[in-house]
Amino acid sequence: MKNPANQPPAQRPELPQFNPRETFKTIAVIAVLVLAFMNFPYVINLIVNILIFIYRLVGQSFGIAIILLTVLIRLVTWPLNAQQLKGAKAMQDLQTDKDWLAIQKKYAKDREKLASEQMRLYREKGINPFGSCLPTLIQFPILFALIPSITYAIGSTPLSILKLSKSLETFGLQDVVSLIPLNSKFLGVDLGLPERTLLFGLSIPLLALTVALTTYVQTKLTMPPSGGPNDQAASTSRMMSLYMPVMLFMFPVNYASGLSIYFVASNVLSIVQYALMGRVNWRNLLPGGKKS
Amino acid sequence: MRRKLLIVSAILLAALILSGCTGAIAWPGLSATDKAAVLANTNAVYGVDLNGGNLVWRFSGEGGGFLNTNRSLFITTPVITEDGLVIVMDSSSKHVIYALDPKDLRENVPNIKWRFSEAKGLWIAPSLIVGDRLFAPNSDGKVYVLDLQDGQSEKQAIKVIPVSQEQGAEDRLWGQPVTDGERLFITSLDKSVIPIDLASYDILWHADLGGAVPGGAVLGGDGMLYVGSLAKQLERFDPVTGKHEPVLKDGTKGWIWGTPIADGDNLYFGDVEGYFYSYNTAEKKLNFAPLKIDDAITASPLILGDKVLIATESGNIYAVDAQGKSVLWYGVEKGKAYTTPILAGGRVLVAYLESDYYLIALDEEGRSAWTFAGK
Repeated sequence: MKNPANQPPAQRPELPQFNPRETFKTIAVIAVLVLAFMNFPYVINLIVNILIFIYRLVGQSFGIAIILLTVLIRLVTWPLNAQQLKGAKAMQDLQTDKDWLAIQKKYAKDREKLASEQMRLYREKGINPFGSCLPTLIQFPILFALIPSITYAIGSTPLSILKLSKSLETFGLQDVVSLIPLNSKFLGVDLGLPERTLLFGLSIPLLALTVALTTYVQTKLTMPPSGGPNDQAASTSRMMSLYMPVMLFMFPVNYASGLSIYFVASNVLSIVQYALMGRVNWRNLLPGGKKS
Repeated sequence: MRRKLLIVSAILLAALILSGCTGAIAWPGLSATDKAAVLANTNAVYGVDLNGGNLVWRFSGEGGGFLNTNRSLFITTPVITEDGLVIVMDSSSKHVIYALDPKDLRENVPNIKWRFSEAKGLWIAPSLIVGDRLFAPNSDGKVYVLDLQDGQSEKQAIKVIPVSQEQGAEDRLWGQPVTDGERLFITSLDKSVIPIDLASYDILWHADLGGAVPGGAVLGGDGMLYVGSLAKQLERFDPVTGKHEPVLKDGTKGWIWGTPIADGDNLYFGDVEGYFYSYNTAEKKLNFAPLKIDDAITASPLILGDKVLIATESGNIYAVDAQGKSVLWYGVEKGKAYTTPILAGGRVLVAYLESDYYLIALDEEGRSAWTFAGK
């Protein structure tokens, strides 16, 4: 029987030090998320009003209004995206860091100690492990609200016009009667309905396929260079480049095709933003471009 | 990696669920044959036994398209022919009109007698049968005239000329046409009233109401045509000349959405602010001051004996008597009633949205006889 008195005292995992700035950021993001979801109809009303305002401004074209709304959302969330990219880059760089690899090897069998050492390394290098995910989270209420907003705003059915009128009355800034009927056509497509094009006797959702294609191109172009066979970030990115187009294909195929315009514009703008920040990896699109 | 994929999948699933918070995209259409209620509700049309509320037949369209995602959408009020054919419209991007024969069922699905698929826009307006022709207004701005026998013969779609095609907006036709036997009166979301000669299909005149007309027109006991619009006014038209004037000095409190109904000299209608109006066409005045009922009224009223029933967005049904006194006739805790209630088989049928059941049958005292939940 072992004598407990002879055993070394159990080592308690090191707790992360209190960082007021990071804590405040996290609380702020959570607060914004909670507020947004508690007032989801209000967020929808806000987006509907902005969309209709742009629609009037550009001569009543919903397609252009959605593209400009996407640009606006991108501009508003630019700092968040930039922070997300920065956080992702830092995390990615850490994967190949000498100290990081050393502690992975040293504490491979002690998960508690490994976690505590990882936290220490994060602190030493000034990395917030949630730095890339919190800015992403804060954008979700916008994305979630966009789907019903676009559906209401285009007003293809009596119920959507009724909801649109209530939405516009919330802010009381726009004369609804003069707006109706809304022009929901863009390049020959009714943006209020799921789009289908008849090709060779088959009903093909061309816009949804365009969403899938641009999503694939966007994830490929922005995929980080692989840090080696054990680089989990690169591996996840590769998986995402296959999963995301399929997942995003399902939205516009079932909902108003105006959503396709948003997704396509968003993908293109995302590529532009990455390019401006020097993060686009054009070689990823070429066969055999993995070494980039 | 698996955890990350799970998180992404969960987020996208949440997006789908939250986007579903928008609820239904349209309210149902309701009519009845002599044996069954016919309910066009989202992805199917249901034939429901008038006596017990049991499902008799169900029609969910044809083919799903690419990846079976192009599902049919049935929201337009079905129309019943003298022969008992049920005319339903698929309001998805397939744009098809079906003539169903509920007397010829195959595994509880009615046989399709004919189909018409040449329209380019959404079907919202209920069609109108005049003799052996079906007049079907479409959101592409055309009224399609079909032979009821085969759904094809006429072939000459009438193009309704828009009065004010402002900045590319379309002349969507959402209201059911009405006829005086010589003319067919079409209303349009682009604020127009357009009569068509039933013999020549010529457009006789057109008028701009200053507000979209989502409902239809009605012929009053005085032979005049009455049309309500989003301009918060009921307009009286001379059906021959098109000369028109506003009916109410102060207009209505809200948009007039549902088609007014005529009963002798009286016209009944509601507005989306929840007010009910009773107007005497002979005396040219309101029978009583606008009556605040409840929530928005998008449905046409229903005459039941000596009272008028009004369905509201809150789901409650109110009964108004000739003196303008209203009582809650049938109350609900959940559900919205945008669709015009109908009288069939001695019962009042009310179609609900966002409720536990699609359809309820009420007796003459407003008590539930049966409900239908789609199964």
